[in-house]
Amino acid sequence: MVQPQQQAMTTTPATITIGVLALQGAFVEHISLLRQAAGDLHIQVSDRPSGGDHYASHEERIDSLSSSSSSADVTCPDSDYTLTLIEVRTPAELARCDGLIIPGGESTSISLIAERTGLLEPLREFVKVQRRPTWGTCAGLILLAESANKSKASGQELIGGLDVRVQRNYFGRQVESFEAELSLPFLEDGGLFRTVFIRAPVVERVLPSASTSMGEVPLAAPDDTVVAPAKQATKARVEILGRLPGRAKAIKDRTTTAEDLGEEGDIVAVRQGNVFGTAFHPELTGDGRIHGWWLREVMKAVRERGKA
Amino acid sequence: MAPPTANDSPTTTLNNTAATEPSRPLAFRSQSRRAVNDNSTEPTPSKPTTAAKMSASEPQSSFAVKAGLAQMLKGGVIMDVINVEQARIAEEAGACAVMALERVPADIRVQGGVARMSDPAMIQDIMRAVTIPVMAKARIGHVVECQILQAIGVDYIDESEVLTPADPTNHVDKHTFNTPFVCGCRNLGEALRRISEGAAMIRTKGEAGTGDVVEAVRHMQTVNAEIARASSASDADLRAMARELECDLSLLRECAKLKRLPVVNFAAGGIATPADAALMMQMGCDGVFVGSGIFKSGDAAKRAKAIVQATTHYNDPKVLAEVSIGLGEAMVGINCMHMGEADKLSKRGW
Repeated sequence: MVQPQQQAMTTTPATITIGVLALQGAFVEHISLLRQAAGDLHIQVSDRPSGGDHYASHEERIDSLSSSSSSADVTCPDSDYTLTLIEVRTPAELARCDGLIIPGGESTSISLIAERTGLLEPLREFVKVQRRPTWGTCAGLILLAESANKSKASGQELIGGLDVRVQRNYFGRQVESFEAELSLPFLEDGGLFRTVFIRAPVVERVLPSASTSMGEVPLAAPDDTVVAPAKQATKARVEILGRLPGRAKAIKDRTTTAEDLGEEGDIVAVRQGNVFGTAFHPELTGDGRIHGWWLREVMKAVRERGKA
Repeated sequence: MAPPTANDSPTTTLNNTAATEPSRPLAFRSQSRRAVNDNSTEPTPSKPTTAAKMSASEPQSSFAVKAGLAQMLKGGVIMDVINVEQARIAEEAGACAVMALERVPADIRVQGGVARMSDPAMIQDIMRAVTIPVMAKARIGHVVECQILQAIGVDYIDESEVLTPADPTNHVDKHTFNTPFVCGCRNLGEALRRISEGAAMIRTKGEAGTGDVVEAVRHMQTVNAEIARASSASDADLRAMARELECDLSLLRECAKLKRLPVVNFAAGGIATPADAALMMQMGCDGVFVGSGIFKSGDAAKRAKAIVQATTHYNDPKVLAEVSIGLGEAMVGINCMHMGEADKLSKRGW
């Protein structure tokens, strides 16, 4: 008689669908780096047909890795999954996703287009109620913050999900954009990661989780600060996953620096439960290690959801 | 030309080759090599010091940082604006950047005379008014106008044929600037000449200030056809082609491999409707510049929003139909077919 466990292994691998929000910005770069990272993890990228929506042509139709490599890695728990990568422009496409990346771009453009496409509320539902894994880079981090300042004159809609306040264009204009080697301890090899900061934001403050989740605007919020509408509160705490050293001293307004929290360096990578944000652009580097790490986090979340 | 599919459209091939490092776009190559080196135990004898240092302290912005901003603009609309009010309308419409200039191309055509860089005060007002990137135009070859624009901190400099050229023989050496440059092209050779001079972003020239999309289509078609030709050519043919197009051989080889330009390529010059914008996106460009088309039309705010939606949903005819309804009067325009060759701005530059 076949053991239940073996039976499970012979069934068709479950499909994980990762979407990249494709309203504006560098979404193509994320898709190709996800595919590269999936290859490194020996996860098949499937060409499974979608539900017949008219954006099927945008779906990454990639032949799975050579059959030998996928069958050779049955020991890898992740090979139980095949991966489908889609560009997300509609609520229907979002509904198919197990995880979502909000790419770099102009956060005002992305948020305005999302609003007019009827995607803002579905996105908030996805991130803050369904609590699906979501990762924002640069503009994506701004949109995933519960609070952001230096927004445009008439404010800006945020998705929220991270109890942090983000300062837009923190380092200044394009001439102040830069590259830096960053130590990211959450990566398995703990190695340095070449990061690109383009008109980048930073997390200037971690907000008290309960108060913002219940919809209270932080008292000391400056006039140009916008907040995301409250949804369900999360018990997860904000974890700081990466800092940019040696820049905190350059901050003019000392009341809002990371230094005041007794910490060194600007916060440039954070996670709170299902939501992950980076101020820099791993999608511009060709280095798929962060994408690989995040893919494994998504698979973990999918497994846990399956158990629940 | 058929709409591109997921597998062969230039937009999806930009980074598809990420796994195979040597064929990555020039813009990203330096970085990925460093990233690869971080992982490997191999010593890097060539430039070990610069790779380990923090580039923020280096005086020169890396090409990756310059080209990176253009990548962030992809899928977006860059709008010509002449004052703070227009800049705010553009930002509210969802523009990913604005181009600050004193006169839109349509007015430059009518008024004639020498068109120069705008008053820095006017550009600075716009920079203060909006949070999105602000671009500004300098005359072809006018190094000092570029220095001024860099000094006031514009995010991108457009060395533009819309203004009157200042140098009869040379374009600006753009490598020496920290501010990135966007330049116009009519064909692949012109695009690659600008990239070898340091341009981090390309736009097809089209015919600015006409509201007639035909030249933008022609230039995009030409670039696409030449890239297609290069990608099926033998190496000997590529060398001959580089001579014919008067461009750098290694850049041409890169285009052949990538099946697209090695930097972000927007469409420009004559885009006046949401359908025009979607047409250019379906031809494989990465985003669109809209100059006179918005603020020379009846309802600028509505048209601007519609063009932004059309650029995102360029493959969804239902959305395109929806946003094309009731936009009011489009800019009157000038038919390029009946235009004298001497009146064509796209002839400027080489």
